[in-house]
Amino acid sequence: MIVGEPAYSATDYSAPAMIEGIALVVALEGNRVWLVPEQSSSCGSCASASACGSKGIGTTASRLDKRRFRIDNGANLAVGDRVVFGIRENVLLRASITAYAIPLVAMLLAGSLAQWKFGSDLATMAATVAGLVIGLWISRVEAGRLHTRGDLAPLFLRRARPGETCNS
Amino acid sequence: MKEYILLMFSAALVNNVILGRFLGLCPTMGVTTRLDAAVGMGMATTFVMTVAAIAGWTINTLLLEPFGLGYLRTITFILIIASTVQFTEMVVKKISPSLFQLLGIYLPLITTNCAVLGIALLLVADKMSFISSVLFALGSAMGFSLVLVIFAGLRERLAVMDVPRLFAGPPIAFIVVSLLALAFMGFSGMGAS
Repeated sequence: MIVGEPAYSATDYSAPAMIEGIALVVALEGNRVWLVPEQSSSCGSCASASACGSKGIGTTASRLDKRRFRIDNGANLAVGDRVVFGIRENVLLRASITAYAIPLVAMLLAGSLAQWKFGSDLATMAATVAGLVIGLWISRVEAGRLHTRGDLAPLFLRRARPGETCNS
Repeated sequence: MKEYILLMFSAALVNNVILGRFLGLCPTMGVTTRLDAAVGMGMATTFVMTVAAIAGWTINTLLLEPFGLGYLRTITFILIIASTVQFTEMVVKKISPSLFQLLGIYLPLITTNCAVLGIALLLVADKMSFISSVLFALGSAMGFSLVLVIFAGLRERLAVMDVPRLFAGPPIAFIVVSLLALAFMGFSGMGAS
């Protein structure tokens, strides 16, 4: 970067964004590999991690193991390899909307309708719970559609360089 | 209708949970280094805060108040929030394992988010009706998410700025968030005539 040049000019915010992460190959299964993502930020790498109250919920390692995922083994990967994978930035937003916004909107619509129609707390409460259940069902259908289209799948980008981390 | 809109507006902007009540400062500093993490955390917190408020109001109204168990409120709400987070995690995993891979990492952090407990206690202390409680919790959560996203955007820009070494990292982030709090104080001057 040239000294004196505004730093923000170096970043092209209109470029298609990809969220990158590093994962470890833990198993081979036919033409596919199982990966476990490495912890990138927040709790696991916090200086107070050893004394943190949220540790009781489950260790970082166990939580990451729950998030293992599978990709096609087009690059001849072996167990122990570290790879860089990517998720399109809009996928995370779409996933959040599917998982959280759809049930919330359904719940609020049902609750508001019941409040307007009956004006009673108990009726509103029952309608809200019913709306939540319906919203979760719609969310499940939408998630299935996204999964079938392959929109939620992480993409293999390249092998990680030795010593490379998410923050480097 | 107007009172509900004002309630949500007030909860989201005028009495913003982060910049007005100074709750939930841990995720504000912890997950705002990247915009995508802030969006994921914001959406998850919005869902959990609203559902926890509904569960909290219901248990407080139907169980704690009629039986004079008000002294158990805080511990009950902590249990409700932890259960809500676990419920959400199970539901997301059941709905779609792919969604769980993308979003699951944010959920356990919400259990220790004091903003969720703070909002649940506030709406009970103010003796709100059910629908007001839901809208108050939703408005507060939307305000929380809004600040996370704004702050994450600012921090992404800060990361490529030429900041003096003394201020680099958390110090400049704290200065930015305090300026953001000053900006949000402007909303308190708005009238509802």
